[in-house]
Amino acid sequence: MPDVLIIGAGHNALVTAFYLAKAGLKPLVLERSASVGGAAVTDEFYRGFKCSTLAHAAGPVLAEIAHDMRLERNGLEMIEPVARVFAPAPDGSWFALYSDLARSVESIARLSPKDAQRYGELDKTLKKISGVTRHLLSLTPPSIDGAPSREDAWKLLKTGRGFRKLGRQQMFQVLRWGPMAVADFVAEWFETDLLRAAIAARGIFGTAMGPWSAGSTAVMLLRAAADPHPGGVSAFPRGGMGALTAAMAAAARAAGAEIRTGAEVRQIGVKNGVATGVTLTSGEEIQARAVVSGADPRRTYLKLVDPVHFEPAFVVKMRNYRSAGTIAKVNLALDGVPEFSALGSYGSGADRNQAMSGRIHIGPGIDYLERAFDASKYGEFSPHPYLDISIPSLSDSTLAPVGKHVMSICAQYAPYKLKDGDWNTQRGNLADAIIRTLAIYAPRLPEMILGKQIITPLDLEEKYGLTGGHPYHGELALDQLFTMRPVLEFGRYRAPIKNLFLCGSGTHPGTGVTGASGANAAREILKDLRK
Amino acid sequence: MTLNTNSNGKYDAIIIGGGHNGLVAAAYLARAGKKVLVLERRYVLGGAAVTEEIIPGFKFSVCSYVVSLLRPEIIRELDLPRHGLEILPLDGTFTPMHSGDYLWRMDDHGKSRREIARHSKLDAEAYEEFGKAMHQLCKFVKPIMNMVPPDPTSLNPKDWSKLLFLGKRFQQLPREDRYNIVQLMTMSAADFLDQWFETDVLKATMSASGIIGTFLGIRSPGTAYVLLHHYMGEIDGAFRAWGLPRGGTGAISNSIAAAAREAGVEIRTETPVAKILVKNGKATGVALENGDEFHAQVISSCCDPNLTFLKFVGRENLPDDFVTEVMRYKYRGSSGKVNMALDGLPDFKALPGVGRHLRGAVSISPSMEYMERAYDDAKYGRFSRRPYIDIVFPSLTDPSVAPPGKHTMSCFVQYAPYELSEGTWDEKREAFGDTVVETISEHAPNLKSLIVGRQVLTPLDIEREFGLTEGNIFQGELSLEQLFFLRPVAGWARYNTPIKNLYLCGSATHPGGGIMGAPGRLAALKMLADWKKGVVA
Repeated sequence: MPDVLIIGAGHNALVTAFYLAKAGLKPLVLERSASVGGAAVTDEFYRGFKCSTLAHAAGPVLAEIAHDMRLERNGLEMIEPVARVFAPAPDGSWFALYSDLARSVESIARLSPKDAQRYGELDKTLKKISGVTRHLLSLTPPSIDGAPSREDAWKLLKTGRGFRKLGRQQMFQVLRWGPMAVADFVAEWFETDLLRAAIAARGIFGTAMGPWSAGSTAVMLLRAAADPHPGGVSAFPRGGMGALTAAMAAAARAAGAEIRTGAEVRQIGVKNGVATGVTLTSGEEIQARAVVSGADPRRTYLKLVDPVHFEPAFVVKMRNYRSAGTIAKVNLALDGVPEFSALGSYGSGADRNQAMSGRIHIGPGIDYLERAFDASKYGEFSPHPYLDISIPSLSDSTLAPVGKHVMSICAQYAPYKLKDGDWNTQRGNLADAIIRTLAIYAPRLPEMILGKQIITPLDLEEKYGLTGGHPYHGELALDQLFTMRPVLEFGRYRAPIKNLFLCGSGTHPGTGVTGASGANAAREILKDLRK
Repeated sequence: MTLNTNSNGKYDAIIIGGGHNGLVAAAYLARAGKKVLVLERRYVLGGAAVTEEIIPGFKFSVCSYVVSLLRPEIIRELDLPRHGLEILPLDGTFTPMHSGDYLWRMDDHGKSRREIARHSKLDAEAYEEFGKAMHQLCKFVKPIMNMVPPDPTSLNPKDWSKLLFLGKRFQQLPREDRYNIVQLMTMSAADFLDQWFETDVLKATMSASGIIGTFLGIRSPGTAYVLLHHYMGEIDGAFRAWGLPRGGTGAISNSIAAAAREAGVEIRTETPVAKILVKNGKATGVALENGDEFHAQVISSCCDPNLTFLKFVGRENLPDDFVTEVMRYKYRGSSGKVNMALDGLPDFKALPGVGRHLRGAVSISPSMEYMERAYDDAKYGRFSRRPYIDIVFPSLTDPSVAPPGKHTMSCFVQYAPYELSEGTWDEKREAFGDTVVETISEHAPNLKSLIVGRQVLTPLDIEREFGLTEGNIFQGELSLEQLFFLRPVAGWARYNTPIKNLYLCGSATHPGGGIMGAPGRLAALKMLADWKKGVVA
């Protein structure tokens, strides 16, 4: 009999499995589909063309987790392109952010010397803040009932001391920034609209918020906690995101975890308020000491568990948990390297490729991003969407035939619920709007398309099990973060049912492929099981 | 130096601005034995809480027009009813819909319930629960309204005890209330109400309280809190409802002024201040526009931070960091006001005739999408093509404000952004007024034929006339990053300023705007405490 059953083999679940196995338990991971990875997988979507199906930039996976799991020895090779973000505007102006600060500053200086200087300051500020906030990522949110445990108190005190070291002024800054709209945040730093938009994008990516939504700065800061670079993460595993989760699965197996694919859980068994095991869709029943769900909170609590096991108030809260996604994904197989007009006469072909080697930001101004968001409020997809693009084949030749390329496009906003029609009829129109938008920046691109894959929010729900199509298992709004993720009282990876746990993105810190949720959950599970 | 001849030339405290908060502060200081002078720029007291005869025979609460938040302890301690304060209850809210139907929430509990049940039985049930939940939350928030904000970065046990007190109280709340309070502090009004109700028009009208005076939409996070801020009036306090002061909102200011005068305060109108005199980092007095100077131990400004620091003090007297923060403080006026003199009462298609529904507020908020689209217009710098409008007919409740048979109509209009992307407010003023009339006429077609006079106040007018920067009626956005210990400037949220002996006492300080009086009272108490401690010297 396994000690612990883990539902789903997404990246967080694999991290949990690894840590539980490492601690001497026998975890069994049950994955519905034929391969591991959840939303972090690589798919051959067109003959000879492979692409990260959903997420295209990795986390980053927290350094301590990558170290513990020996991901590199388990086959992971991370590619870190020189460029982080390339942002073109329709008028032909552009800048790029590089990992190297001096190069970024130089690139911005062409648009505004003042902004170039401020960029350096922002870079420094985010580094300083993330020095404190990154500890929050691997912290179990404190209990709000009674006095904190000794461990909680100690960790909070440590974080509090780090916070104090920021100095009074910076402490207040962080408190003030958190609830702010990211549009206001970037306006405090920069004058160039294009730069403002590219930096602000990190606060709205994958969320149902526009840059003018209050609290979007908190999302940006949360992401900066994992990687303080103002442009965000642009690191790709060789072979796509599937290679990352494959390495994680290898690490978990090596530690003693068992992983079964093609095993879909139908129900979590509960007896007298204690989780006892699961029933698969095949009818097979498996018992264990504990059950850990890597699925999103709504799926776990509203579908996999019979609601009679919860208080009605809890069920109402879970129904109110917001997880309506706004992101769609389009993967393109291209006949060659796309050419962006903005880069027209810039340097050599190699220089241009290098500028595009990170992520490409399409969303030339704050108002543009906000208008893209407006459409989604009324159940329409953006006629001019905000796009976050990568061309991973520029630095990874395993993804496409020689001379050909793959383009991975995250498009916002595509609301889960459409006012007119449904996603099965609108999918083509969405792809058209995206390609039309891209053609403004790269006019020859439409002719280069050999094949495409379109993933709508409905697909995210149906094929990848993300309820509501939300890539992060639930909205990253202030009321659904930290101690409130997924809901207040149950923000510590534990369900209202004994021996049932959550370990996915629907728990703190819950954004991006960092593995933090999985590692934190494992720590809490071990505490309970050792009692 | 010109010494004032009417007195001995020396005051203990000078209050800049005779707004209701300034008058409250003055009254409290005087009652503690201080010699206080209030200097008001205009001919009339009250700031944004004034009554003026704009059109001959018609008296208007020009800006602020209803009252509910006025702190009961202020009414009690200053004995305002004896000084002429009388508040007439405002009867419910009537929302006409484009379908020809309406939603009419009345003060009468049973009737309100039946009316909501007509739209949705579930919502009628939920409405009861909602009322109870909000009542609990108001009880939790109330002490915060009466608290000088603590400094969360300080190691001072006094600050920590306040934060711990809040933390403890939070822990003691029942589970459901804790959940609700966390949601209220962070969510959007629309998301919050979506959890409770299904009737669109009910949610639209209720969510309006969450956006009044802010440059946020009903779907913007943080607006649920403003909902509570306004809900307080419906539950707490002596009147338990929104009301109209007899004689307009100016009557509130006048009653506070009367209480202040009785306590010995000297009040001068048409006395505009030009400068706050600062010597060695210490405020010593004020200079008027006419060059006269007055001196006092303490100077307290009821004006917003922009006027107080950038105009009166001058950035040369302030630390650079502080000036940066003052300039970052967001105003962003989002509302206008249209006051109309009418020959009779308009006939609403949804419920014709002069019924009780006109004695309350008439809310033009027919759907959630309507409200959100009104905001979308404003985001990109134009006034809403179809704005949210909150209408009252004060003359129905208080006939003293209009000639017999005639009526006054007060329309609060949102959104009207201070910054227009095209043209200026001076060019757009009448177009804005026309939009308001058109919008209401969709529901009450005979309105146009009744108008005998009209006053249109744009955010620019509100700034010019009432000294509210960018026309923000709360002296600064009520957004999360500008509340409590962050209002108006992080580190300076306790009414004191980097200039010694200079204090703020207006709506730009905790707990913020509305005819509440709490900032004035708390500021006065803080000044008196500092006096005692010898901080004032």
